[in-house]
Amino acid sequence: MTNKKISKKDIGKLLEGWSREFTVFVPSKDRGVTEMAKWDGKDTGFFEWYRNTVIPAKSSFLPAMEKMFSFQKDTDGYHLELSQDQQKRILFGIRPCDARAIAIIDNVFTDSYEDPYYVSKRKNTVLIGLNCTNPYDSCFCTSLGVKPTQSVDVDLMLTDIGDEFSVEEITDKGKELLAAASVVKKATKADDAKAKTVTAAVSGMVKRKVDTKDIAKKLQACFSDKDYWEKVAANCVSCGICTLLCPTCYCFDICDELSKKQGTRYRRWDSCGFSIYTRMPMENPREEKWRRVRQKVCHKYEFYPMNFDVIACTGCGRCIRLCPVNWDIIQILSSVPAEQPAKKKVVSEKDVSYRY
Amino acid sequence: MEQKSKWEPKIVGFLCKWCSYAGADLAGTSRRKYPANVRILKVPCSGRVDPLLILKGLRLGFDGVVVSGCHPGDCHYQTGNYRARRRIALTKKFLEYMGVPEGRIQASWVSASEGDKFARVVADITKGLKEIGPNKLFTGGGQ
Amino acid sequence: MEQKLRKEARKLLEEGEVDYIIGFAPGSLKFSTTPLIAKGKEEVASLVINPFMVNNLAKFLTEMPGRVGIVAKGCDSRSIVSLIQDNQVTRENVVIIGVPCSGLIDIVKIEKLAGKDRDEIDNIALQGEKAAVIVGGQKTELFTKEVLFDNCLACEFPTPQEYDILIGEPVAATCNRELGQEKMKELEGMTPEQRWEFWKCQFGRCIMCYACRQVCPACFCERCFVEESQPQWVLPVPKWQDNLIFQIIRNIHVAGRCTDCGECERVCPVNIPLRSLTEKMYGLVKEMFNYEAGTDKNAPPLMTAYEYEEVKDLIR
Repeated sequence: MTNKKISKKDIGKLLEGWSREFTVFVPSKDRGVTEMAKWDGKDTGFFEWYRNTVIPAKSSFLPAMEKMFSFQKDTDGYHLELSQDQQKRILFGIRPCDARAIAIIDNVFTDSYEDPYYVSKRKNTVLIGLNCTNPYDSCFCTSLGVKPTQSVDVDLMLTDIGDEFSVEEITDKGKELLAAASVVKKATKADDAKAKTVTAAVSGMVKRKVDTKDIAKKLQACFSDKDYWEKVAANCVSCGICTLLCPTCYCFDICDELSKKQGTRYRRWDSCGFSIYTRMPMENPREEKWRRVRQKVCHKYEFYPMNFDVIACTGCGRCIRLCPVNWDIIQILSSVPAEQPAKKKVVSEKDVSYRY
Repeated sequence: MEQKSKWEPKIVGFLCKWCSYAGADLAGTSRRKYPANVRILKVPCSGRVDPLLILKGLRLGFDGVVVSGCHPGDCHYQTGNYRARRRIALTKKFLEYMGVPEGRIQASWVSASEGDKFARVVADITKGLKEIGPNKLFTGGGQ
Repeated sequence: MEQKLRKEARKLLEEGEVDYIIGFAPGSLKFSTTPLIAKGKEEVASLVINPFMVNNLAKFLTEMPGRVGIVAKGCDSRSIVSLIQDNQVTRENVVIIGVPCSGLIDIVKIEKLAGKDRDEIDNIALQGEKAAVIVGGQKTELFTKEVLFDNCLACEFPTPQEYDILIGEPVAATCNRELGQEKMKELEGMTPEQRWEFWKCQFGRCIMCYACRQVCPACFCERCFVEESQPQWVLPVPKWQDNLIFQIIRNIHVAGRCTDCGECERVCPVNIPLRSLTEKMYGLVKEMFNYEAGTDKNAPPLMTAYEYEEVKDLIR
């Protein structure tokens, strides 16, 4: 139930008002790729082209490259400079699938250890969701319990009802933000009805579906089926795009840039698809491509639910759209054998390759 | 009166062990004066020089890179310098297209008896780099 | 043509001439294909030939053991020959099913011209010199020249030169490398500082996904230089400096093997114009050494060959 609305013409004023206290991020194409970037202060034309960004919203909390700290060696010892990002931000226009993805990876960064970089960003950011009006043909969010027009994972939810947006306040943070905005008007019953019609229409536009019931059990049953996984992984090229640009993937690596008297520690995105992901001095347990592909699918749909009771996928479809070889997760999930193969293939120690 | 610039270009030199390094040595023993801007790294053959070494030099902040080897036909390993020739030529031209000023990457054939030539080459390159200026390619903000 | 391809592929598998067939099958997205690696003779029924078969299948040759039958367009067959020259693939283990290609459709160009994303377009059909794009029932006619990939416009070898079976009639080359070189010419017109700034800006958004390296058939090193940590040539962090160095060195390392298939630019998720680099390298290789990758399987690879007298003016 919403009781507020904002005219589309007033969005510029709204963002301007918020910009005094927050840094506002909106969908942008300025750098040559669609992503959430700092609002330039005037352009609100992104509504024309915005369906979803290529770079997912996770990059606002877990950037592709993040400076953790830097240090300097002086005559009196080492001086450490921690990177603290306390900037107050608003992410405007995040889609329900990306918002759900952030809620999913929250589990990882707050589970037994609170990741200070992620958590401080999360605490200082207000998420403003925007309903989908034009899902891609590769979207399948409805199969994963995500509604393209509603979200409980954001602080404010906007629904496009023509010339205006109806606004739903989800959290207190959102209420506070909205209270400060002068361009917000009261919504009428007619506006509410319009919002409901839009919601119903868009849900039907998500055409592709996948049955995720018992997917964890099915994957567990065919874990040792080498032939099946080799077939699944046959045309993958191990590039990493699907994992790096997946809103629910969170693997990262840490490396140091060192010079004589100073250094910086960075955190950057890593991918289980890279052939060196599990490379160790003596061996690489996932040398073969099919093992890595199996790992990716099982992690997202079997292991993650085992730990956190939620599938690590929100059906945004980026992996399908951006894959160089059109490897399609929906097809894979739909083709997982339902029952145990008659002859169970056990993967023996001999199958693991060792490199000395 | 012109103020002499304090900045001196830093050049990294990849000299092949058999000819060019010996040539540089000869320049020293013959007391031939040449600018002290070059830091010499000995490689077994100019054919060992991968464009990676050249770019790493630029990345680390060197203003110029010079690769020097035996004369074509004279390589201690027979064909190393022929391969180097192709590789360095491509690297030079490609980097010029990228925007690296022409004088930063240089190559020469210096044999073990050409101490004079080595000294001249270094003097030439240093003069050229003084005109091009310091290497700011990899510093400064991106995006 | 598709029927003939499927028949030939099936025959190869039935007669035990090959263990696998690598070809194109319809993709799950509109106007897309996906590489199909088929072991069974029923699977080859889904092989297709259409103007969206973009992938360079030669990439899969370096990872498949045994005898392989591979569908190859003009550019792909050159990549295969290039791999044969480098001893990565044995000629006897490959059965090349050549498919002459009159150019592939660049869906990104059509999206720009139509102002719609690919899933909002109803149909695209090539009719000789014209291409018909149907959006929401409305038909727009474009020139075929406007919708083909840049490297297809400049293709000099549309018919595979090395093949065992040829499906379809040979296609004459357009032989016009001038077309599709606009970006490169624009860059050449800038000053060095401007060019460097341009590339700095482009590589600021690289996320180091390595897709460009992974789809490239010429990148077959077991251990890429970016994965070396002793010594660490390139920091694995996506800083623009390291992204730029990675791409420069990658281009130099594949010089003479790159056939300008354009895959690297197509797969880049952040739209970096990588072909402006590969195109230039291709041109340099031709200009300086009169060498074109993958045209002669008995020729030594570019960087291991040499002439006694060449490149006089670049080295003191």
